[in-house]
Amino acid sequence: MSDAPAVVATPLLEAQDVRKTYRLGAIEVPVLHGASLAVREGEWLAVMGSSGSGKSTLLHILGGLDRADRVGRNADGGEVRFRGRAIERLSNRALDRYRNREIGFVFQFYHLLPELSVVENAVLPALVGQVPLLWRSRRSEIRERAIDLLERFGLGHRLKHRPRELSGGERQRVAIARALANRPAVLLADEPTGNLDRKTGGEILDLLAEEHRRGLTIVMVTHDAGIGERADRTLWLRDGRVDGAPEI
Amino acid sequence: MVYASLLANRYLASRVIPLIAVLAVALNVALVVIVVSVMTGFLDMLRSSGRTLMGDVVVTHEIVGIPDYERFLEILDETPGVHAASPLIETFGLVRMPYGRDGESRVEPVQVWAVDPRSLAEVTGFAEAVYWRAPTDDERAELDERDPRLDETFHKLDDALAINDPDVEPGMVLGIEISPFNSRTRRGTYRPTPSEAWMPLHDVTLSLVPVSSGGRIAEPREGRFRIANEFHSKVYQVDSQRVMIGLAEGQRLLRMAGGPLYDPDGERDENGRPLVIGRSPSRATTILVRGDDGLPPPELKYAVSAAYDRFLAELRDDPEAKVKPPSFVDIQTWEERLRDLIAPVEKERDLMNVLFSIIYVVSAALVLSIFWAIVHEKTRDIGILRAVGASRSGILWIFLQWGLVIGVIGACVGLGLGWLVVDNINAIHDAMGEAAPTWSVIVAGGLAAAALLATVVAAWRGSLLHGLIWSLATILLAAIAFGLSRHEGAVMWDPSVYYFDRIPSRVDLLRAGATMIGAVVFSILGAAIPAAKAADTDPVRALRYE
Repeated sequence: MSDAPAVVATPLLEAQDVRKTYRLGAIEVPVLHGASLAVREGEWLAVMGSSGSGKSTLLHILGGLDRADRVGRNADGGEVRFRGRAIERLSNRALDRYRNREIGFVFQFYHLLPELSVVENAVLPALVGQVPLLWRSRRSEIRERAIDLLERFGLGHRLKHRPRELSGGERQRVAIARALANRPAVLLADEPTGNLDRKTGGEILDLLAEEHRRGLTIVMVTHDAGIGERADRTLWLRDGRVDGAPEI
Repeated sequence: MVYASLLANRYLASRVIPLIAVLAVALNVALVVIVVSVMTGFLDMLRSSGRTLMGDVVVTHEIVGIPDYERFLEILDETPGVHAASPLIETFGLVRMPYGRDGESRVEPVQVWAVDPRSLAEVTGFAEAVYWRAPTDDERAELDERDPRLDETFHKLDDALAINDPDVEPGMVLGIEISPFNSRTRRGTYRPTPSEAWMPLHDVTLSLVPVSSGGRIAEPREGRFRIANEFHSKVYQVDSQRVMIGLAEGQRLLRMAGGPLYDPDGERDENGRPLVIGRSPSRATTILVRGDDGLPPPELKYAVSAAYDRFLAELRDDPEAKVKPPSFVDIQTWEERLRDLIAPVEKERDLMNVLFSIIYVVSAALVLSIFWAIVHEKTRDIGILRAVGASRSGILWIFLQWGLVIGVIGACVGLGLGWLVVDNINAIHDAMGEAAPTWSVIVAGGLAAAALLATVVAAWRGSLLHGLIWSLATILLAAIAFGLSRHEGAVMWDPSVYYFDRIPSRVDLLRAGATMIGAVVFSILGAAIPAAKAADTDPVRALRYE
């Protein structure tokens, strides 16, 4: 990568002219009309926008959880490319694998499974990606990685606890550990501090910054300019479009 | 899919709802096991009683009877596959019983079997059905210590077997339910009350209407019989209607005994009486045949019909036999003969199957709605799982496993429960037949009082939910206590309706197994629809779901 000029390098994750319309009964509500952005490997990108501007929708489409509009045969709703490959063309199976291997989601409301313990929540993506036959042989390795992460995030004493026994900050740290369980290429964070007080939110951002320093690519959407400042680069989502050309 | 098993487990272990689902499945299985077992046991009893009542194959020529039946019996005796055969006459008559209002006697219409008890005992379970005899060891264990049959003076089996012997006075064996003085105990035994009313101490008069071999009805004839014994076939219809007398006496009264044969249309002697042209053979209306053990009744029926054809051919060629046997007689297996009795029960069972199919569907709907609620509650989890890469089939699998486990546990619990009830069904029925014991009323009343106290406490603390629950419990328990105190006993299994005096109590394993498999399948199906819905849930919506 060092000898190739950065301008030519393929972005890790790229959205091009993405359109998304929600249908509420008979009314069509356009959310994204032609949003484009690109993320380089190892970059921390913040997408700012007011609430209802379609930030979360953009993030879901980037992560393969939602799909852009399909107008005609040639995807007029735009395209999302991961390492140059259009994820719209992936089969359901391949898309599941994409979410499992390449993407880590962090949500505003943590979204932990209440029936599982902290460590079980943290290994969930690894479990999901496992075939039962191989599970036995990889079990301890998966658990160790999850425990390592949780200990690094200061949750070593909370492994057996249930999510409801944790504070908001602790829950979000478990959620980040879960997002990182399969060493994803990109972490997609949707208002990760939106439900936390300033101090705790700051700790979460410090933690993300630390992971970023270790090489993690992050796309974070937020409405809080103060939080956006922590990123390498900031884009604005206004009227369903990203301000400024996708810059590489 | 490792996570599917993990989550299915956790969802099972951490909620009350799965318990309700298990309970629903279990109750349903138990219900079906109980009803099907009783119905099948009922049919089995009907069948086996048919066999002990009439052997394997029955040959009949009603009213007129089969002449020279002794020759037929000889032929049957030589027929391979035939173990024993017994002739009898079936007819109807009137018995003047030794009791009645104001010292008058009372007349009962009865079905009369004129039998040869010794051969009848070889063909049917007659000797076991005779009531006043020495009980077997098994029976003895069941009797209470005041049972008259423990006293040797009540053992009169020999009298019953001798009713057709030529040198004893004519005897009769009555169905045990004919005399109203035989009071039936809870154990299904009988006791004459008062003891002077013990039937074998008395005489009866029987009137029969003879019919000639030409089919002419003659004047009724009357005979006096001492009551030799009573019988208990355990089939109520038989026990309440049938009396047995000796074959010879029956033939005499019905003019079916052998004697001189007169020519009704021909010449007369000097006194104007018809001339004797030969010997009239004695007749019997029915031959009961028992086959060798293991021989299927239809095969025996075939052999018996071949034997009858031989009998016909023999008599056709015999110039001495002036009265020829009928060319066509009814030859039926006991099952065909009992068709009238068995068919309605089979119909009832089929009806039950239909009803229970509906109950099955209802319980599947119940499981479905419970699962629906669970899936609804777990919508956000589904979104989370999809976000970390779980496939639709993985989500489906979580809930299918869930249904499987609930179905299997429910089916096993249900079988256990059903088994327990079927095994003790007569005890339960007997307990329900008695007034509720005082302690049960006190316990229920005490619990109701405790619930009332809890209601007051809840009201004082201001908890609407607990107040409501406890007040409902109070009402329910008070109703139970009231019901128990008013319960004077009810007999649901009325032997006059259901033929038998005991409820069948054997679990039909085959059907129970089928029921269990059905329950598991229905649970999985019940889970499949909400599971498919879960798999189809849009992950983005699921994540927003609160």
